[in-house]
Amino acid sequence: MQERVENGALIFDLDEPLAGRPVKDIYLPNAYCSILKRVVSNIFSLREDGGLDLVIATVGKCKCDGMRNIASWLERTTDIPILKVENDNAKGAGFPISRSGLPLLKKMELIVNSVFAPLPDGLTLEECAPKCGFWGVPPYDFGILELFPDETHIFGWTRCMENKTPADIEMECEVASGVPTVFFTQSFCQKSAFAYNLAREHGGLYVEVDKMMSHSTRAKIEAFLEFNLGWRGKR
Amino acid sequence: MSAPSPILLDCGTGYAKIFNLEDSTRAIVPARRFIKKLSEYDIKASTGHNLSSGAGVRVNELVALAEGSLSMVDEPDFTVLDCGARDVKYVQIRNRRVAGMDWNTECGAFAGQVVELLTRYLDIEPENLPSDAPRIPVVCGVLGMTSMFDMISKGKSHEEALAGFLRGVAFNCETLVGRPDRLYLSGGLCDNKAFVSAFTRETIPLGRFVLIEGLRKIYSEKII
Ligand code: SF4
Repeated sequence: MQERVENGALIFDLDEPLAGRPVKDIYLPNAYCSILKRVVSNIFSLREDGGLDLVIATVGKCKCDGMRNIASWLERTTDIPILKVENDNAKGAGFPISRSGLPLLKKMELIVNSVFAPLPDGLTLEECAPKCGFWGVPPYDFGILELFPDETHIFGWTRCMENKTPADIEMECEVASGVPTVFFTQSFCQKSAFAYNLAREHGGLYVEVDKMMSHSTRAKIEAFLEFNLGWRGKR
Repeated sequence: MSAPSPILLDCGTGYAKIFNLEDSTRAIVPARRFIKKLSEYDIKASTGHNLSSGAGVRVNELVALAEGSLSMVDEPDFTVLDCGARDVKYVQIRNRRVAGMDWNTECGAFAGQVVELLTRYLDIEPENLPSDAPRIPVVCGVLGMTSMFDMISKGKSHEEALAGFLRGVAFNCETLVGRPDRLYLSGGLCDNKAFVSAFTRETIPLGRFVLIEGLRKIYSEKII
């Protein structure tokens, strides 16, 4: 793979929106994770343009059964070259972004981008005391992150992602006790079982979103922050 | 042309609930009709889904629900559930403070619209519903209706099927609020006797103006 990159190949994060490639909802059942719908749509869209050499599919405990099943389906029924990989790295790299006082949206972007690129030069990350917690995977709609105060710490799989230990279930279940936390899950994600029950255990707020956040979801999060922090948003 | 009337407004998906600050009268009008006559009103404070601009000071629906129920219920601890046309939300009060809340946001399972449409469509009087109909599992409004019409096609009466569907929706509501012994109900479904009697615990309807009461309290205390 290194050789391909040196020869000019580009790497795309298929979880993320790709410019000029709208998600086509035609490859998977309706009731399915919107992130994986985007992954599959991106794969077919890149292939249509002849711009796809290899799909590196994470299929272990580090991701979810959804991707394992999709990778097997693509392997069996298409000629798309698939490389199945598992990341069971247990050596933590730290998670200073998750605990910093940067705006939550910025924190999420930095963590997601850190998969392929080093952190920007000169970035200083100062740890802050958490006012609030956001637990979960990176959402399909990053707009949800703009509702939170900057002193929101990131927990769950996104923190594991920053720590480079995406299969660390123990870490995935950690939250800061006494800190009002929103437990976010994509609709139809298996991790919703975690989110739902962790929210009950810690008196947090369970939030499930399919694609874009609805008015009710926004209002529900705003109310939770207002009741718990007296926070009425960035106005 | 007369000056616009100063009002407090709870503009839900189906209906607008209005409190006129000049003469303290209340009104309920279909939301689509209200929106066409916006210029007749001077909205001082508002809550609800259906207005995002030009609506005075905006108050979160759950905050309005909490404040309104606190001004209508004297108990130190209670739970109030608001069943609107589109979704269902609740606040749990402990020692007269908000201790819990949630909002069913994604799925139409609970939606008052489905209940209202079904009761109208089947044209069944609530008094005629059997009290012992088995509950239909209502994963979401559409799947629930599919099961309901399946039951009818297998020979059950329409009354029994509708009663089972309403039970399924009420069961979901009870799961959402954590099954308290007594439940206060807010919103349009307070007027639907069949729905109210589908709950398996003491259920006390507070009517359709709970959020308006919350707005009145917030507005009069100038805490917005
Ligand atoms: S949101 Fe859940 S189901 Fe979707 S890709 Fe992530 S882990 Fe898998």
